[in-house]
Amino acid sequence: MTIRQKLETALLPLMLLSWIVLLASTLLHANPAAASRFGTPPDWITLVAQAAFVAATFGFQRAQADLLRGTDFIGLLRRLVLGPGLLATICVGLHLLERLVQFNHPNADRTFFAIVYTINLGLFVVFLAFTNYAWRSLVLFRASERLRREWLWFEVLLGATLLFRLISWQLPLYVALPVLGALAFFGVYLSGNQKWVAYLSRRQKMEAVMLQGAILLSMTIFVAYFLRVDRDPKLVAPEPQHAFLLLTVFFAAFYTIMGLLVTLFNLPTAGVFEQKREEILSLQRLTQLIQRGQTEEEVYSMLFDSAVQTVEADAAWLDVEEEEGVRCQQRYNIDEQGSVAIRHLLADYNLGQIEYLNNDLNNSSGFRALGLEFEALIVMPLRATKRNYGTLYLLKKQRQGFDRENMSILQTFTSQTVLSIENLQLVARSIQNERVQEELKIASSVQESLIPKNLPIDNWFEISSHALAAKEVGGDFYDFLHLPGRRLAILIGDVSGKGVTAAFHMAQMKGIFHALMQENPLARTERDKFPVPSRFMAMANTALIHCLEKSSFITAALYIIDYEHGGFVFARAGHCHTLYYHSIKEEVSYFRTAGLGLGIIRNDTYEKHIKNQFYDYNPGDVMVIYTDGIVEARGADQSEYGEERLKQMLERTYYLNANEIKAQILADLAEFSRGQPIHDDQTLLVIKFRTSQPEPSI
Amino acid sequence: MKVTQQASDGILTLILDGELDASSSVLLDTELTKPEILNNQKVLIDCQRLNYISSAGLGVFISHLQRFQDAGVKLVFFNMQDKVHNVFEILGLDALMTIVPSAAEATAI
Repeated sequence: MTIRQKLETALLPLMLLSWIVLLASTLLHANPAAASRFGTPPDWITLVAQAAFVAATFGFQRAQADLLRGTDFIGLLRRLVLGPGLLATICVGLHLLERLVQFNHPNADRTFFAIVYTINLGLFVVFLAFTNYAWRSLVLFRASERLRREWLWFEVLLGATLLFRLISWQLPLYVALPVLGALAFFGVYLSGNQKWVAYLSRRQKMEAVMLQGAILLSMTIFVAYFLRVDRDPKLVAPEPQHAFLLLTVFFAAFYTIMGLLVTLFNLPTAGVFEQKREEILSLQRLTQLIQRGQTEEEVYSMLFDSAVQTVEADAAWLDVEEEEGVRCQQRYNIDEQGSVAIRHLLADYNLGQIEYLNNDLNNSSGFRALGLEFEALIVMPLRATKRNYGTLYLLKKQRQGFDRENMSILQTFTSQTVLSIENLQLVARSIQNERVQEELKIASSVQESLIPKNLPIDNWFEISSHALAAKEVGGDFYDFLHLPGRRLAILIGDVSGKGVTAAFHMAQMKGIFHALMQENPLARTERDKFPVPSRFMAMANTALIHCLEKSSFITAALYIIDYEHGGFVFARAGHCHTLYYHSIKEEVSYFRTAGLGLGIIRNDTYEKHIKNQFYDYNPGDVMVIYTDGIVEARGADQSEYGEERLKQMLERTYYLNANEIKAQILADLAEFSRGQPIHDDQTLLVIKFRTSQPEPSI
Repeated sequence: MKVTQQASDGILTLILDGELDASSSVLLDTELTKPEILNNQKVLIDCQRLNYISSAGLGVFISHLQRFQDAGVKLVFFNMQDKVHNVFEILGLDALMTIVPSAAEATAI
């Protein structure tokens, strides 16, 4: 329990205790018999007790939960009137009783008078504390931080006046008056904060006026009582008009009067306010509803209903623009004939898709000719930056039925609607996008499966491969095929462009490879059973002509290695030159053969542009086959990796095994293009020929 | 990438400046697609300031090659940098397209 909480729990006992002390001291003053027995207490005891009682009551009330619940202002006023307000009736009742007693026993002592006085003082302080803090709730309703601070100062200053009454009893008037005046002025300033009144409906305002009147009445009763007894000769207490009570009464009364007046003057405008409020509320409702709308249909229907309700239209319809044309989404109190006629008339006037308000339709001959029963029309397009979603038409039978405010609220409605519609479409598109991503992933894994996982293994060569696509799917490809007679076909290629289109052509190329590399049963010689590389390229070119777009082409190289004879033949169709280490000559060089890419010439003259190259390999020779993604990889200075650097790498690594050569080249490439994005697919194959060893006997 | 045009006496010269990649090749394609380009006798491509050509760039020339041939318009490249020439050569385009060292030779053809 914090000290503050402890203090707060002590407030109620302190309140009661100080009141009892106050009662006792008043009684001692009033009753000479008792005074002679116990002695007359000095005035300061009465004053301190009174100050303590006031302080404890206000402190206790302050520590209570905020009296205002939500925006239930009427509830607050009602509780104020029916609770503390009724204390005034007790005050009146006691006073009447006292008068009765005095009438019957004119010479009775002042004890009863003193008791009644003390009770009423207590009741009045409780009433004031309650009212004061009720007003605080109202003043601070949606208040700025500054106002809250100002209120705190007001409380502190009020508290100080309590002390100031205690310590310097006889403050000179020229000091006391300005101080009190300043505080009173502060109170007036604070009473200006009547923001809450705006939140009342017309009925609530009426009720508020009555309740505030009742509170003023209670206050008047108390003040009247104290003014009356002030002049009573029987009064024994020191002057009760503490500056504090005075100020609090002043503030509370002033605030009530101000509130009353503000409410009263607001009564005539309540209707307009209420309409605005209703509009705002329906806008809120619309916003919430629309956000909940799952489909465009729902959103349109919510817009339509809210718009018709808010502007109290007699008839309306909503056109929605679709690709096929305008379609009437919803209609209310108007038949198709009527809506079509109006739409055509507006189109004739060139008012089709603009905001338009006409409050006197019969003034225009066009509308008069239609013989409508309506006098006012609003046309409100549902416009987005890029397109028009539709148009809302609202009609009223009354002339001057619509106003500018209707237009602006409808604008808000429609822009909210457009926002929601676009949002829905965006969500739909993102779902679609996700699906495309998902499909790309599938395509990627399909493509992955097209690239041979198991490299051919044999004892006369080593092979190592690397493939990296710049996007999900790429245009690079390579494949192997074992041919009869201890031969191996290797195909590498690159489809121009990237992405899905390239991937399709890559798959196609793989299909062509497998189809063309079938044994021809009609072949007369062993040699003709499989097409030589140049023939293969010519056939592939013919196959591709019809499906490759005009600006696309494919580069490829086909190698057929015959290790019975220790040689290979290859043809290069526009593909990167083959890098080769000749172990006999101990030299690295490129096979610079001529050869045109596939899909560039689209007739049978292609075969003239492609040559076969034969070569007899030796054990220890290394062949490096790659795509342009390797040699065209960019470095930090945008230079290309290049054929020369690749060649130097092989000169340094030819003695290693195929895997190590590949790893070294890739490491050097990574070093070269560090921090740069991969902008093209990269494929690298390293083949190292070994001394042929006899096959292990089975 | 910048494409500048110079027309004189039935000869249209396109001066390419920069890198001809996937995005800039669209620009060049628009130029080459214009029907009136076939009214020229010759279309010369000045490649002096062409630093790089991607496969998309090559694709543009390839796609218009047949059309130019059919219309009897000669397409001549000149002033080509070595590395760009190498790209043409690898793809085998040097055997298919007319590539000459200088402007004088290009005009003379």
